[in-house]
Amino acid sequence: MDAMLKITDLHASVGEKEILKGINLEIRPGEVHAIMGPNGSGKSTLSAVLAGKETFTVTSGEILFEGRDLLAMSPEERSWAGVFLGFQYPVEIPGVSNVNFIKAAVAEHRAQRGLPALSAAEFLKQMREKMAYVEMDSSFSSRGVNVGFSGGEKKRNEIFQMAMLDPKLAILDETDSGLDVDALRIVATGVNRMKRPDNAAIVITHYQRLLDYIIPDVIHVLYKGRIIMTAGKELALEIEKKGYDWIINDKA
Amino acid sequence: MTKPDFIYAPSLKKEFRCKVPLPDTRQLFVVNGTVQGGGAPLDIRIGEGERMERMLQIIDVRDSGRSNELSYCENFNFGKGALGRIVKCSHTFSLDSFRTKEKVTISLGEDSDVEFIVMQNEHNGAEHDTSYEIKLESGARLNMVFLSLHGGVVRNNVKVSLCGPHADCNLSGLYLTDGEQLMDYSVDLVHEVPECRSAQMFKGVLDDRGVAHFNGLIKVVPDAQKTEAFQANHNLLLSDSSRAYSKPQLEIYADDVKCSHGATVGRLNEDELFYMRTRGIPVREARLLQQMAFANEVLEKISSRELRERMASLTEKRLRGEFAHCRNCSRNCC
Ligand SMILES: Nc1ncnc2c1ncn2[C@@H]1O[C@H](COP(=O)(O)OP(=O)(O)OP(=O)(O)O)[C@@H](O)[C@H]1O
Ligand SMILES: [Mg+2]
Repeated sequence: MDAMLKITDLHASVGEKEILKGINLEIRPGEVHAIMGPNGSGKSTLSAVLAGKETFTVTSGEILFEGRDLLAMSPEERSWAGVFLGFQYPVEIPGVSNVNFIKAAVAEHRAQRGLPALSAAEFLKQMREKMAYVEMDSSFSSRGVNVGFSGGEKKRNEIFQMAMLDPKLAILDETDSGLDVDALRIVATGVNRMKRPDNAAIVITHYQRLLDYIIPDVIHVLYKGRIIMTAGKELALEIEKKGYDWIINDKA
Repeated sequence: MTKPDFIYAPSLKKEFRCKVPLPDTRQLFVVNGTVQGGGAPLDIRIGEGERMERMLQIIDVRDSGRSNELSYCENFNFGKGALGRIVKCSHTFSLDSFRTKEKVTISLGEDSDVEFIVMQNEHNGAEHDTSYEIKLESGARLNMVFLSLHGGVVRNNVKVSLCGPHADCNLSGLYLTDGEQLMDYSVDLVHEVPECRSAQMFKGVLDDRGVAHFNGLIKVVPDAQKTEAFQANHNLLLSDSSRAYSKPQLEIYADDVKCSHGATVGRLNEDELFYMRTRGIPVREARLLQQMAFANEVLEKISSRELRERMASLTEKRLRGEFAHCRNCSRNCC
């Protein structure tokens, strides 16, 4: 099957500083890839580049999403095309309510697909259903986007938004960090419910425990801007026990 | 001294539809009070204990064919324990250049409760200079909201005197500029007696080469102990050539007071913008959501839901760069 996402020799920098130093990655529909790696290795940078953050300059390389040149697209076009980024640090937007925010996003997605706008009742129904996925209380709808949400609530809100937008490729950047055991299960269940043969996910994590719930097809280790190892799901356990040194030393 | 046209829209509170057409001749409608016609100032008195059940809308209109220089006065007098609701709209109906000088006095008797909304929506040729003299007796409550949506040069000079204990004054303002527009707010608020409270919240959204000034003085005289006075002025710059000048001043001569002020000039938050775009909200819409979120802090001070929504929709249209007029009002002016 053709790759859904194909990253070839991707280099990206901030100012003079090169952060991604030649990433190659191929993801096919139905696959779940985990990305692990020490702090500061470039995991969030890679996800930000995939989502179109302009802070990072792509100096060379190519990203194809369903055969289209992703780097030529604006962040909103990538979203319409089916790319979703669950932020490591979700942004607070005071003054914009959660419900208006997701309503605007859903309306735009539908308009882009040539679908008629949802009726108020249908929208609320979907919203209630998807909030239930992540056991989010309806009182969150009227609050400012992520404003005053606890760490765990913010992560649930990311998964809720993902459920509403139904992306083809979900990039979840440390969606598990800051979650208690119950929240972890809730978030993971939310993600699993959305899994289909025609969509895919990149799951960035530091912990093996998330991968007990969301079972990856492969695990990549990112270090200093490069993928230095790719292996099966057993690798997570090994990293949990032994850390990264043995992989890094092996490569050096 | 010539006067502009005034309309009283009796159904405003319900549906904001003016049933009274704009009169050819100057016509004044009064609620629970008296109006002196002729060349005298518009004089609205709400008597002791009278309660305005409906909002009084006053539309000051400048049309072509009139003298380009115009001065007029409007006096509002609320008796002891009165309840007042006023919306005052200023408009120009032609692109001619106008100069308007206006003097407004608002006097709140003991324990009166007044909401006063000022909406200014004029053409770029209009220069509108208003001075407000506002006085609050003991226990009076004022909630005043200024919305300067459009206009060539808009100057609002607001003098407030809190002269009876337990008076409570809320002033809020939203000013929007683009092109070469200039908006200049100057607030001079004096706590003359102890135990009063004042709060100010002025916000500006400035685009193109728009310029805004905010000068806000809070003065607390030596005897005015237990004063609470707050002031905030926040400006959002949408372009590189827009300018906001903010000059808050506190003059406090009493020692047992709670006073604070803060001023900021900033830009749209890039992280918020990126976050919204990753959800598929186009950059233009995302910016608008941010601007409306910023403006809402002022709009939400309007207590009537219908009026608040009407003003929010005007603000949104204005920020979209569309011609902002409300449907359903007489002559589509507001
Ligand atoms: N805007 C920026 N300006 C300068 N350096 C940056 C910027 N953004 C990221 N970096 C640097 O790039 C490197 C990679 O950061 P990144 O956030 O991608 O790491 P990460 O793998 O996600 O780490 P963590 O596991 O801690 O989340 C770090 O050294 C970081 O300091
Ligand atoms: Mg990270």
